[in-house]
Amino acid sequence: MTEMSKRRLSKILVTSDLSLLKKISGQAETLAEIRVERAPQTSLVMMKAKDSVSTQPFYMGEALVTECTVSISNTFGIGVVIGEQPERAYRMAVIDAAFNVGLPIVKEWEALLITEEARLVERQNMESARVSESRVNFDTMGEFHDQH
Amino acid sequence: MGYVAVTGGQAAIETANSLTQWYRLKDSDRSLKVEDIEHQMRQLINRVMGEGGLYAPEYAAIAVKQAEGDPAEAAFLLRAYRSTLARNYYSETIKPEKMRVIRRISSSFKDIPGGQILGPTYDYTHRLLNFDLRDEDHRDALNQILDRLSIDPKHKSEKLTFQKVTDLLRAQGLVGNPDPQEQEPFDMTRQKLTFPASRSARLQALSRGETGAMTALAYSSLRGYGAVHPTIGELRVGYAEVAIAYPYDEKESLYIGEMMLTEVETINSFTLNDDGAITFRLGYGLVFGQNETKAIAMAILEQSLETKGKSPTQDEEFVLLHIDSVEANGFVSHLKLPHYITFQSKLDVLRQSQKISVEKKKNETRDFKGQEV
Repeated sequence: MTEMSKRRLSKILVTSDLSLLKKISGQAETLAEIRVERAPQTSLVMMKAKDSVSTQPFYMGEALVTECTVSISNTFGIGVVIGEQPERAYRMAVIDAAFNVGLPIVKEWEALLITEEARLVERQNMESARVSESRVNFDTMGEFHDQH
Repeated sequence: MGYVAVTGGQAAIETANSLTQWYRLKDSDRSLKVEDIEHQMRQLINRVMGEGGLYAPEYAAIAVKQAEGDPAEAAFLLRAYRSTLARNYYSETIKPEKMRVIRRISSSFKDIPGGQILGPTYDYTHRLLNFDLRDEDHRDALNQILDRLSIDPKHKSEKLTFQKVTDLLRAQGLVGNPDPQEQEPFDMTRQKLTFPASRSARLQALSRGETGAMTALAYSSLRGYGAVHPTIGELRVGYAEVAIAYPYDEKESLYIGEMMLTEVETINSFTLNDDGAITFRLGYGLVFGQNETKAIAMAILEQSLETKGKSPTQDEEFVLLHIDSVEANGFVSHLKLPHYITFQSKLDVLRQSQKISVEKKKNETRDFKGQEV
């Protein structure tokens, strides 16, 4: 589980049900002292995008995020999420710190997190499957007359 | 002349503010839910976020409610709020080529690899008022829609990510090769926009421009007041992942969410290179949310600014300074605020001119009479 990249872990934590985050971060809270280094607060992330024509980057605008930093035994953890979501940002930071400090309980979270990830993939696939039904193949009138 | 402040009117202003709130609510028996505005006024929210330059759907919905649906006022509120926040991060470069597509079309290539997907669009609907919406029951309506949206089992695990048409054209040598050296983009929220503007500055200004103004200018180019009339190489709408660098390990990144974007690549013209090769000249548009007309207008305008000529859309100062919703609406609406001293001074000048003119006429008459004598 410690092999899970931060990107993968944070994607699960951003998209999963808040109750799961409360459950596992609550376990960390009972096992270790959580120090809030930076309480949840809103801030901005500037979005960098790439222009297809020049392939050079440009700034397209900002996104509102909520961020939180905590520590467990001086090891930091961070939660950053789009939107005003103080509870989620805090829970994410606690879970991140728990992974960073290597709390033994994190091994028990693996199955839960992977199950949650599978739910996300299923939700996204359902949306994609509905969208796929609008796949279109236009015929030009010439082609249409050739066929009929 | 400079500005002269006015004073007084505090009680009247407070009453006017209360009246605004009264007019917002007086003919309703319930207050609009912000959540409903956010999720059921998608197009308005997308527009306000784009023009405010801040991706924050919930806050955009609050702004729309507060502004009674005026997109300019809502964008102003959003941009004003944004100025109170610290910017602590820059995203990793967003990759629209990896977006989870909900719509992807091309008006240039009928058979783009991966196919065309209409997705949610009004493009092929009759513009008939739907009176059923008057008494729509949310649950019933949603169930009926889901019944119509059947799912083919073979599509259940299909990933809707597609290589961009531009990349395919580039691989075939039909688009010029990029500059491999990445340059730091201009940031108009931190630096004053000066002219000539860099390409990154133009794109930033266009990305947060006002939809209507940009559409009008792009339309003028299409109608002949300019040189750009493209076809759509690819238009895609979908969810793009947003990530920032993980602060405690530079090799890691942190996923912070996904945002809906519209990306447009237009094909403007063909160029015959010195070596005899033909390449496409492309235009580019990328905006928050599903806002297709704005994204197309952006691609038209950015290409128009790459050409030389005398039409308004080829003048970057004209385009970039007049498409900003907050600037344009602010300046036009400021005319309603007290300008008593300005106007009084104009009257003074007018009266002085009248006086001089009358005296001049008197003198001319006297001289004439003098000659007569």
